[in-house]
Amino acid sequence: MLDITKPSGGLAPGQTQRTGHGFQALAGLALVALPVGLLVTLILWPTVRMVTATVLVDGTLSPERYFAFFNDAYTMANLRYTLEMGLVSALAALGISFGLALYLRFSAGRIATMIHGLSLFPLFVPSIIISYALVRFLGPNGLLQLMLEQVGFTQYRTPYLTPVGPFLAFVWENIPLPVLVLSAGLSQVSDHAVEAARDLGAKAPRILWEILLPQMRRSLLIAFALIFMGIIGAFTVPYMLGPPAPEMMSVFMQRTLGNLHDPASAQVQAVVLMVISSIVGGFYIATMVKSSAGAR
Amino acid sequence: MLSRRQFLATSAAAATLVSTRVSAADIKTLQVYIDGDTNISDWWNNILKPAFEAANPGHTFNVTITRGVADGNGTIAERALAALQAKADPQVDYFEEIEPASVAGSVEAGLWLETADSNVPNLKMINPAAVQTPIRLPYRGSQVLIAYDSAKVANPPKTFADLVAWAKANPGRFTYGRPDKGGSGSNFVIRAIHEANGQDPAAFTKDNFEAAKAEEMLQKGWAILKDLHPFTFGEGTYPAGNSPALQLLAQGAVDMIPAWSDMALQAINNGGLPETVKVVQLQDLALCGGFAYSAIPSNATDLEGALALANFMLSPETQTSCVRDIGGFPGISWDNLPADLKAEYIDVIPVSIPTFPSGDWQTAKNDGWYKNVATNIVRD
Repeated sequence: MLDITKPSGGLAPGQTQRTGHGFQALAGLALVALPVGLLVTLILWPTVRMVTATVLVDGTLSPERYFAFFNDAYTMANLRYTLEMGLVSALAALGISFGLALYLRFSAGRIATMIHGLSLFPLFVPSIIISYALVRFLGPNGLLQLMLEQVGFTQYRTPYLTPVGPFLAFVWENIPLPVLVLSAGLSQVSDHAVEAARDLGAKAPRILWEILLPQMRRSLLIAFALIFMGIIGAFTVPYMLGPPAPEMMSVFMQRTLGNLHDPASAQVQAVVLMVISSIVGGFYIATMVKSSAGAR
Repeated sequence: MLSRRQFLATSAAAATLVSTRVSAADIKTLQVYIDGDTNISDWWNNILKPAFEAANPGHTFNVTITRGVADGNGTIAERALAALQAKADPQVDYFEEIEPASVAGSVEAGLWLETADSNVPNLKMINPAAVQTPIRLPYRGSQVLIAYDSAKVANPPKTFADLVAWAKANPGRFTYGRPDKGGSGSNFVIRAIHEANGQDPAAFTKDNFEAAKAEEMLQKGWAILKDLHPFTFGEGTYPAGNSPALQLLAQGAVDMIPAWSDMALQAINNGGLPETVKVVQLQDLALCGGFAYSAIPSNATDLEGALALANFMLSPETQTSCVRDIGGFPGISWDNLPADLKAEYIDVIPVSIPTFPSGDWQTAKNDGWYKNVATNIVRD
């Protein structure tokens, strides 16, 4: 069967052998030494130290800080809220981006170019700006409410300072990246496959379900992992737009460290969040590895 | 287009030019750290800096804002303490605001320079309401007041009970900021705790914190705030800071908030709040407030410059600017300031300034509020 998922630009035959010789191998190692060195000294080593610190209580090994974390109802509510926010916002952003990417894949012309440009626009807007803009737009007596009242709708209740506030900001902020990833994925779906299905009488939903989605699984997973990890670690948006409680873990962590002066608990919170991110990151890496293995 | 070589030559020449000019003038730059709100850092950068440069030729300062980063100036003070022990450059000459006692071991180690009217002459004019110690330089004050829209509120509350009654009679028209995110919300929460404990600020001291007792005293305060909770804006969606609370008042989303005297007066003056907004202090027991205390690390590289800055900060000119430009009350006594200024700002001249101890009490108050008041959210 013809492998239409194979991306262009895979390794040429014999390319893998090129790095095998002495000097060149050393040069290659020297090139990666700097980034790997930075990774080890600035990220891995502090991480190991921090994780060690969380399980050492007065010099002895003890999981008691983790018990305290998982037994505290308030902390668990914050963790649950963070994960729910990440999941719901990431799925919503992914859904919208998938729609946009599909539209861009099968349309051409000036309007499509404009929509493409617009969909990437949030990439260049910092979180703090979008947060303030949303306060003025969605906030009480903000632009949206004033416009709604002009047309007679007076029951508007602002999402500012409720979980809906950060949700909307996250969705808006996280459209460009998946649009890019999914567009790249969709460009690999061959026109022939779609046309052949159409010739055999398949309708749009069937093409989506049986031709596009199976080939897009990898891109979707990658896009989901990237935005989910971004959202559960986000600080500015939930700080500015979210409710006082529950707090997202980043805001909670900052408060635990800065206001409650409790670095030990903040570290435990950080480790738990890191483990969750690592699991999602693991999916991402597995998908990437599988795809590059498939390309060979 | 410039070639690469031309470009390098030009920029090298430009760099030499700049460096010679600076070294010829020999300008000494003081490193000032600020973790106060935007109104304070803006005031230092936009108004005080040019005035200081004019009054002290050859001196300038560079402001670094540490607001919201880790423990703010506390973290910088810890770095200065480490530098003192390592005999290294602390890279800081002046803390705009710091509580030396909260930086563990710093007082004992001699991190803080002692000041008196011998090395800071203007200290002899100091405001008697401020508590001056040899290592703390009080230079501006503010207090939390109740800001309200006089177009909507005819009779502003005079007591805490009045305030609660008004809020309940006008659901959704009152709010206060989260206590850890800014002093206006924090001091309102403290006022509720004072209310629940016999209106007696003296019941809370730096050394009388004891977990079980504190829990009991705070719970009484939480009861008042939980009771108020469903009547606040958005049924308990407390804004995240001093400015977001002011913004809700400015947008007409609420009619009454606790606000810092300086921030509210400044906003009314510059149009950030409608002209109909007025401020009032509770008469039964005022909301908390206090002075901002600066301090100079004894290992600063430019002690002479830092002392000149301290003296400049307490000059009648700077203190007049403190009242006029940021709505603060002065660190020197009112007698040293123009008489018309006192008449104009009579509303913010405090009669009494209750305080609440920092440290364990603050921590228990902030965390307790999140766990007892804020989580009690009923949504439809």
